[in-house]
Amino acid sequence: MSTSSQPPSTDMEQRYQERLRRYVTAMRKGKPDKVPIRPFVAEFTAMYAGYTVQEVTQDYEKAFEAARRCAADFDWDAVVPNMVYGWAGLVQAIGLRYYATPGVELPPDTGFQYLEPPEDQAWMRADEYDLLSEDPTGYLMNVWLPRVAADVVPLGQPSTFRNNMSFLKGGMNMLAYFMAFGTQNQLLRQKSGTVPALSGILKAPLDILADKLRGYKGLCTDLFLRPQKVLAACEALAPHLWEVARSGADPQRNLPVGLWLHRGCVPFLSRQQFEKFYWPTLKWITEELWRDGIQTLYYGEGDWDGNLDYFAQLPEQSIVFHIDRSTPELCREKLGEKFCLSGGLPNDLLAFGSPEEVKAYCKKLIDLLGRDGGYIMDASAIMQNEPKLENVRAMTECTRQYGVYDQPEFVEVPPPPRAASAGTAKEDRPGCRIRRPGAVIPWEEKRKEFPEKLTGDEQLIRRVWEQCDAMAYTYIWQVLLSF
Amino acid sequence: MSSSTTLAEALANCQAEAALEMVRSQLAAGTPASQIVAECNRGMSLLGERFAKGECFIPELMFGGMIMKQVLAELGPHLAQEQQGPSVGKAVIGTVQHDVHDIGKDILIMMLRGVGFEVVDLGVDVPPEKFVEAVRQHQPQVVGMSILLTTCFKSVASTVEALRAAGLRDQVKIMLGGAAASEMLRENTGCDFYGKTAVDGMKYACQLVGATA
Repeated sequence: MSTSSQPPSTDMEQRYQERLRRYVTAMRKGKPDKVPIRPFVAEFTAMYAGYTVQEVTQDYEKAFEAARRCAADFDWDAVVPNMVYGWAGLVQAIGLRYYATPGVELPPDTGFQYLEPPEDQAWMRADEYDLLSEDPTGYLMNVWLPRVAADVVPLGQPSTFRNNMSFLKGGMNMLAYFMAFGTQNQLLRQKSGTVPALSGILKAPLDILADKLRGYKGLCTDLFLRPQKVLAACEALAPHLWEVARSGADPQRNLPVGLWLHRGCVPFLSRQQFEKFYWPTLKWITEELWRDGIQTLYYGEGDWDGNLDYFAQLPEQSIVFHIDRSTPELCREKLGEKFCLSGGLPNDLLAFGSPEEVKAYCKKLIDLLGRDGGYIMDASAIMQNEPKLENVRAMTECTRQYGVYDQPEFVEVPPPPRAASAGTAKEDRPGCRIRRPGAVIPWEEKRKEFPEKLTGDEQLIRRVWEQCDAMAYTYIWQVLLSF
Repeated sequence: MSSSTTLAEALANCQAEAALEMVRSQLAAGTPASQIVAECNRGMSLLGERFAKGECFIPELMFGGMIMKQVLAELGPHLAQEQQGPSVGKAVIGTVQHDVHDIGKDILIMMLRGVGFEVVDLGVDVPPEKFVEAVRQHQPQVVGMSILLTTCFKSVASTVEALRAAGLRDQVKIMLGGAAASEMLRENTGCDFYGKTAVDGMKYACQLVGATA
């Protein structure tokens, strides 16, 4: 390590390219010129930009602006375009019931939270596993959405004005929101030369079951009373979660898909339960993504020490492992040879410690995890409004000064190993028989409505139909995953 | 399953059907409902010990809690007619203001009840004044705060401060737990104890009242 750091380039495009190369090299286990800094800053950005948490949760333009302000003022390589990801506008547009929102149920300076209903009122009932596993997309649209969204009327009941409007408002606003990410990424690149940290979203099938469908407590009971049904549901969800992750991934393959690991670690699941219920389908998805050249960032919320041996089974470089409360030494020992590591700077230290203590800890992390590259500086958990500003500055300055490598060995990302596979490749998997990944009303069904002999190019009609259809698929699965 | 399995063991091993069958047969044989509950509580305590040793994890605790709920539902009418035994101590437990997570809190409560504590469950998103009111009313030996979100650090500090302002701080010990809790948070907010797991919290509470964990 050396301690002489070059200042960032003043030309923004050049700065962007330098940072992208640095970030990507670290993620691919190479040795960049400096330890990249990629802080997962959420509510912190609001605090920094002078907004309340309510403002950035309700008005995503303010959230984007707050992220840009931080990106412009701190020498960070990559940020998430909007880490306050849940957007209250969409929550209100369709009346989602599982949120507590700042400025509504929560004070304006508190982050949004998920609400888990009592077990007997779970969004998915215990006897609905077969329905879900048979046709996950149909189940979400017909059964789940009417329960979680106040304006959506259950299938078979008389439609209402509010029901019809919810799909217009939900669909169009979700698209507007996602499109705004594209603009935000451009602005980050042009104004501060900052790289978007992630592209695309993934959750483990069992986490989705726990978080949005059965509730964690209900799922715990299911693990004992109906384990085979739980397994079948994970199998059925997997190809769809893969499809959502793949379709949101970076076409250049530079940026990883963000996987938000939640309730898979000890003590939420035993190792045996993890091995049986959580891991097989998550492993399958991760490997399938990697076959397409897509890395997954495992954001290991909590302590995953007991699960690191499983992650070590994955192909080299296929993941980046983010350390929250896992033990950094153990992560290095179990995963450090194969994968890039990130994070590990305790949030309570950022909240209560002094800048000197923060700097000392950053140096310790760089020495331990980033000696030869393959490490990204970040706090442990997502930074909400607890860190002191001077401590975030200390983390940045120290990493820039201390985290410099003498002889960089940059890594170029190879082009995708094969043409990105479409959802059709997974047709034979569980959960895909009625509706394959990426499809809501499959072409085969629609085709029957046309004359047997078409006058023109059927493939063109099919392609456009499937593109339009995929948007509806994205809608329902993104409500499940992102909102 | 061996016929020598006791009700407490059935609960500790999450054998739902066996436990419920035993409850029914004990009731039929005239065992007082309060005695059955006491044995079930011993079972929950054993389950807590298994958890502490790493022999089982939260899903077992949750499932054990569900079995216990069913047992109590069966016994409900009988229990209402009986006198309850003395408790080893009193605890007031809640998740701090603006935080709506309940799993850690519920596990601690389950364990404290298992070892004979009377527990006042304040629920989630508990404002400081509600802690104060509960301490004044119930006079517990210990207050337990659960915190999952780093945004709620301030709620811990303001609860301790509210107890101090109400002149109640010296009457109770305050313990802290949950994913966002740490020794550093304890120190900076003036709590007495930080428990990494619910078992640590339960043991601390037992130690305060001289009960066996």
